[in-house]
Amino acid sequence: MSSQEKLSILSQAARAEIDHWLTKYPPEQKRSALLPALHIVQDENGGWLSPELIEGVAHYLGIPPVAAYEVATFYSMYDLQPVGRNKVKVCTSISCMLRGADELLAYMESHLGIKAGETTPDGRITLKKAECLAACGGAPAVMINRNYHENITPEKANELLDDLE
Amino acid sequence: MMNKLKHFFKKFLLWEILVGLKLTGRYMFKRKVTILFPEEKTPLSPRFRGLHALRRYPNGEERCIACKLCEAVCPALAITIDAEPREDGSRRTTRYEIDLFKCIFCGFCEESCPVDSIVETHLSHYHFENRGENIMTKPVLLAIGDKYESEIAKARETDAPFR
Amino acid sequence: MIEVEIDGKKFQVEPGKMIIEVADQIDSGIGEIPRFCYHKKLSIAANCRMCLVDVEKSGKPLPACATPVTDGMIVRTRSQKAREAQKAVMEFLLINHPLDCPICDQGGECELQDVAMGYGQDISRYNEGKRSVKDKNLGSLVATEMTRCIHCTRCVRFGDEIAGMQELGTIGRGESTEIGTCVERSLVSELSGNIIDLCPVGALTSKPFRFSARAWEMEQAPSIAPHDCVGSNLNLHTLRQKVMRVVPRENESINETWLSDRDRFSYEALSSDERLLQPMIKENDEWLVTDWPTALTLVAEKLGKIAQEQGANKIGALLSPSSTIEEIYLSQKMLRKLGSNNIDHRLQQIDFSAQDSMPFYPGLPMSLEDIETQNTLFLVGSHINHEQPIAGYRVRKAALLGCSVFVLNPADYTFRFPVQDKCIVKPSAMPNVLAEVIKVLLEKGIEEPVAGLRELVNAVQPSEFAHTLAAALLTEGKKTIILGAIAQNHSHAGHIKQLADALAKMTHGHVAFLTAGANSAGAWIAGGIPHRGANKKNLTHPGMNTQQMLEARLSAYLLLNVEPGLDCANPLLANQAMSTAEFVVSISPYFCHKVASYSDVLLPSVPFSETAGTFVNAEGKWQSFKGAVQPQGEARPAWKIIRVLANLLELPEFDYQSCDEVYGELMQKVAENKADSHFSLSIPSYLPQTIVGIERLTEWPIYRADSLVRRAPSLQETVINDSPVARMSLDLANRLQLSADCHVIVKQGEGEAILPVELSDTIPDNTVYIPAGFGLTAELAAPFGAISIERSDS
Repeated sequence: MSSQEKLSILSQAARAEIDHWLTKYPPEQKRSALLPALHIVQDENGGWLSPELIEGVAHYLGIPPVAAYEVATFYSMYDLQPVGRNKVKVCTSISCMLRGADELLAYMESHLGIKAGETTPDGRITLKKAECLAACGGAPAVMINRNYHENITPEKANELLDDLE
Repeated sequence: MMNKLKHFFKKFLLWEILVGLKLTGRYMFKRKVTILFPEEKTPLSPRFRGLHALRRYPNGEERCIACKLCEAVCPALAITIDAEPREDGSRRTTRYEIDLFKCIFCGFCEESCPVDSIVETHLSHYHFENRGENIMTKPVLLAIGDKYESEIAKARETDAPFR
Repeated sequence: MIEVEIDGKKFQVEPGKMIIEVADQIDSGIGEIPRFCYHKKLSIAANCRMCLVDVEKSGKPLPACATPVTDGMIVRTRSQKAREAQKAVMEFLLINHPLDCPICDQGGECELQDVAMGYGQDISRYNEGKRSVKDKNLGSLVATEMTRCIHCTRCVRFGDEIAGMQELGTIGRGESTEIGTCVERSLVSELSGNIIDLCPVGALTSKPFRFSARAWEMEQAPSIAPHDCVGSNLNLHTLRQKVMRVVPRENESINETWLSDRDRFSYEALSSDERLLQPMIKENDEWLVTDWPTALTLVAEKLGKIAQEQGANKIGALLSPSSTIEEIYLSQKMLRKLGSNNIDHRLQQIDFSAQDSMPFYPGLPMSLEDIETQNTLFLVGSHINHEQPIAGYRVRKAALLGCSVFVLNPADYTFRFPVQDKCIVKPSAMPNVLAEVIKVLLEKGIEEPVAGLRELVNAVQPSEFAHTLAAALLTEGKKTIILGAIAQNHSHAGHIKQLADALAKMTHGHVAFLTAGANSAGAWIAGGIPHRGANKKNLTHPGMNTQQMLEARLSAYLLLNVEPGLDCANPLLANQAMSTAEFVVSISPYFCHKVASYSDVLLPSVPFSETAGTFVNAEGKWQSFKGAVQPQGEARPAWKIIRVLANLLELPEFDYQSCDEVYGELMQKVAENKADSHFSLSIPSYLPQTIVGIERLTEWPIYRADSLVRRAPSLQETVINDSPVARMSLDLANRLQLSADCHVIVKQGEGEAILPVELSDTIPDNTVYIPAGFGLTAELAAPFGAISIERSDS
């Protein structure tokens, strides 16, 4: 892939938005803008990042592709496979686990007929396990798209899931 | 004087022979321990260390993984191994040779083997007719293993509780 | 200085050092603190936790690798607390590590195995399933068994910090952490083999060496790398008279603990099927195996006859720049005693106009370590990371310490260090760029070092690059201009050298040469050049250089480990000259069909692993080595072959019993004579014109550089190994109506070759890169100069 092709894989709008984030960091620390840059590109690509896009971001920020790939695989906020229209993330870290996150997840799995990490056949929901959502006070917590929902019981989960488009 | 007389009668009556025959006679009626080799054979311990063999798994795959521990442990430097990746990527020997002129049948090779591949069988009667036959090659060792697998497996099983 | 106490022993140490560094010092008397992630050459990660030690007044055990010493600190590395912590970490590390030591290549030299012997338990308390990780395909040099990985991240840090290109990374998190590449990708670093040594477990092992031998059964013999002028120290590991692998030998002043892939994996060629194992003579166009006396007598008779009937100057010798100094010294002694000065090792060069003003030997006017302390480096015609990978690493260290690196190249090579500014021009425009810089300096009021320089550079128009570089060269500090292979092999190499000299003089800098071959410095010292003997003096009647020898169509050629079509700058001319010669004798470890087609006698010599010898590296360090294994077959060390040949020619003073005697004699000569130290600075009489049309650019690719690497299959399979192509910019291809999938006919003088097109944005316009060292490109002439290109329809 030539450098021109690597550059053109990011849209004009995405590049502009990344540039905005770059202004917040020292010019020799472009790497710092990696997290927002990946978010921008992911949002634009329907919620997931392809290897080519990750490489495009790395090229744009002037860092090795594998450094961007490391970050994209580390955080559960990034998806590396195509996803459904809604992302449902169930926290399974310790506080939520103690308050019944495992049972909640199992319920959601059986309700939706998919396993964690999978997408419903109609492309409506992607169910994921999440690392600590920092909402231990309201455990078990679920994050649907960008919204937090706390103290979730199977009944509440039913409602939430059924409301999704 | 008395001694001389005693001596004279002992000599005259073949006393020593009678003493000797007493021992002979005692053994004549004891249970016999000699066996008629080769028609008869003594029993062998399951730990007997005879001729070597390379074993296979029941599915026919050779056990040896070319770890070379037997080569390293051999005090007589009788084992020579060459290895390389086989086509399927597994670690295999291309040469596995034991020089029986060097081997002292200590059994260390068997002890060191992590996969029970190289074993010493109960075979102790063999001979060489030509120069070079003392080198046991891999096909020869595998053939012995194939032929005596049931005996080898049985011997290991008998010995297992004591190890 | 502060005082610390470790295990009851008191040490005076500099503040800022880590506990592990203090304990690791030789003679510290502290047993080794176990560790996996710590490596003295890499940054501190402190992620394996194996080096936990008990520090007084600290509640918890602390990692020795990441705890700086403080005054009065009391450390216990083997107290109960420390031991318990270390054993606990060991148990954690062994949870997921497979117990496959018998089939693991690392077995016997495995850091995990060693430490587990000391700190591990017989039985694991962990009954759950072990995790398994998919293996990665990292190319033809490094084999992976990723399940064995303990995530010490040494390989990741190596790529980022030493190799200068992060190729491996920690993918995923928590229990699903893996070491891998971005997508499946082969390693491209020319130092990638070092991760094999760094890996403390058997996760990364050598692919060519895979399963072939065990660490404990091999013998180790010290040797010197035979490929580049760095002279990396290495150890040959041999088993039953065969070199099984090569590992670096630590030498802080040369290669530190590293080794380039070329030096590490070229050993495959030592047991190549193409090894020539018996002397052969050609009779009626058929090769007959013969014995040494017959073959050598024939050579002596023929050479003697030609010298007598046609004159000794009808005999010429071409030497490989990777021959040992003893071989070169004896060859030149034999030839010069015969009466011929036609001897050369500069096979890749075509312009020898500045040879009289060359220093005693071309190399670094400083030590390799000193490269790191330079403030400004200017690379001219150098692909340093491929030509001398270890020197490239030194430049990287310099750049990271703040040195400004400037580059003038005919292609936009990717360097493993940050480049301040670069100028990418057509090859023929390179001397002009140097002239531009000189002009800027003159304009800034620097005096001209030689009269006439101002006039010479008057016409050029300085570019922005020239201004930036001139400004950098005028700042205080150490500066060096490094002339790489392209600068030395250039069709105006003399101009480049003279202009660089002037530039250095004006800015109080140095000129350094990084040459091809392991021993070109040695070749200059020993007299393997036509214009100087082994006594450092320019001869009044110099012999012919490589180019002249080939052009003059001599009657007899002596080839010492040379494959003219692949090693010489002008392969077409070389092959023609060899074919028309009356008598060609090739002394080589290999049988090459092309060489055999025109040779009359083939004498089997041995590669570096089978002979004693000496290489002189770029900094002028003489490094001797001994043979690690016996010569294969009937092959014999080349110095012995030449000695016997000289005896048969009845030349005096060739009664050497050992290689050491040759070395001693040469050493004495070098010590006795003083070099012509002050060569007057000369300037070229004109500036070469830039070629208007399409011109050729040539490089000997990293793994085509000499007869040894060309026969190392694993290196040939790497992604950075070039193939015979015509590489050009998209613009040029569009103008010529070419696309990436077509072939072109390249014409150069009489030469013609059909090559596939490759598009690249690294090549300047109107320039076509065609690599040397391939049979396909051996049909072409000089490495630089005008060529014509047309589409091939076939």
